[in-house]
Amino acid sequence: MTGAILFHELTARQRIAAIADKGSFDELLPPPERITSPYLAQLGIPVSFDDGIVIGHARIGGKKVYLAAQVGPFVGGAVGEIHGAKLTGLFKAAARDKIPCVLIVESGGVRLHEGSSGEIAIAETMRAIFECRALKVPTIAVIATDIGAYGGIGILSTCCDFRVMTEHGRLGISGPIVIEKWMGKKAYDSANRALVWKTSGGKTKYLLGDADALVHDTADAVRDGISRFLGKSSAVSLTAVKARQKELEKRLKKFGAATDPDAVWNGMGVRNIEAASLASGPEFVALAKRGK
Amino acid sequence: MEKFTKAFPSKPLPSKTASPWALAGVVGSGNLEVLLERGGRPATAMECHVETSIPGYKAAWLAALADFAHHYPAGGTKVTINDQGAPPVLVTLRLRQAYDHLIKGDK
Repeated sequence: MTGAILFHELTARQRIAAIADKGSFDELLPPPERITSPYLAQLGIPVSFDDGIVIGHARIGGKKVYLAAQVGPFVGGAVGEIHGAKLTGLFKAAARDKIPCVLIVESGGVRLHEGSSGEIAIAETMRAIFECRALKVPTIAVIATDIGAYGGIGILSTCCDFRVMTEHGRLGISGPIVIEKWMGKKAYDSANRALVWKTSGGKTKYLLGDADALVHDTADAVRDGISRFLGKSSAVSLTAVKARQKELEKRLKKFGAATDPDAVWNGMGVRNIEAASLASGPEFVALAKRGK
Repeated sequence: MEKFTKAFPSKPLPSKTASPWALAGVVGSGNLEVLLERGGRPATAMECHVETSIPGYKAAWLAALADFAHHYPAGGTKVTINDQGAPPVLVTLRLRQAYDHLIKGDK
């Protein structure tokens, strides 16, 4: 794959074009419809024709999917009223038509300029995601850029059946700067990229089971990663939720006092930290021998 | 915010384009997005709508847009721009990218 443009370097529309079957993507509410944020306009902030999210339907390996990609460079991919409504509508359509829904995430969470509507939109989208899961309609989040999935979108991503990540992707609730602000630079230095990625990056999230696949940073690898889950779904049951809670309690007990992320890698079965740091995607997975 | 609209004389667009619209760029700091669409009136002018977060540079905008309309057959198109402080050279680049996508496809 040398010479190819990496997945995280593509624009949202290019990402969609690169993972969908050629020419199969049909955009809903495309830029010429000019459905833009009324709040940003009131605040004198420039709007975007798609409000920072591209939605539509396409085929992946011949299978019909609903597909969305967030536009990170526009206010950090943050969710406002319109952006959120597009997201909610897409997952609702997925539930209605029983077609899998794939979200290519790139968002820091709710857009503060329209906070309440953003929060409500994210809550409504989560509800739509759980509707999909109850109907066994697969929902997949792809987290593959350094903006990653944070705040409400971090939570929303973990509501989906599956998460496909690359080592570039990051997943969390509070972002590194927020953590530093509350806990102090000594506890968490947000400028320390190695620390940030070792705590919230794709590799660590894969080890902890928060990501279901860790793939190379190319469109082909991301598409293959998505394809693995298009025919699957994971039901939300009381037993499953209770088991997950147990797992998280165990994780907290095991790593709650750890000050070095390497201890977490070690505890999750990584023996050669240095080699694993340099490995990517499936090579990392092979080295990691996903611990219990 | 500053907002203005102006049409610039331009040779008519080729009768066939790969798609009815094209988008280039993104609304981010020092960047802009250009939406170029077929169906502007008349066929001998490029109709421009600009919204920018940086007021006071209308003369530079008009010069960049007039220059593009002069060098490219873009008559009968509608250009809509959301800008967040892009330098003039980037305005020209985005216009060219959008034009290229409109003619040849591949958004």
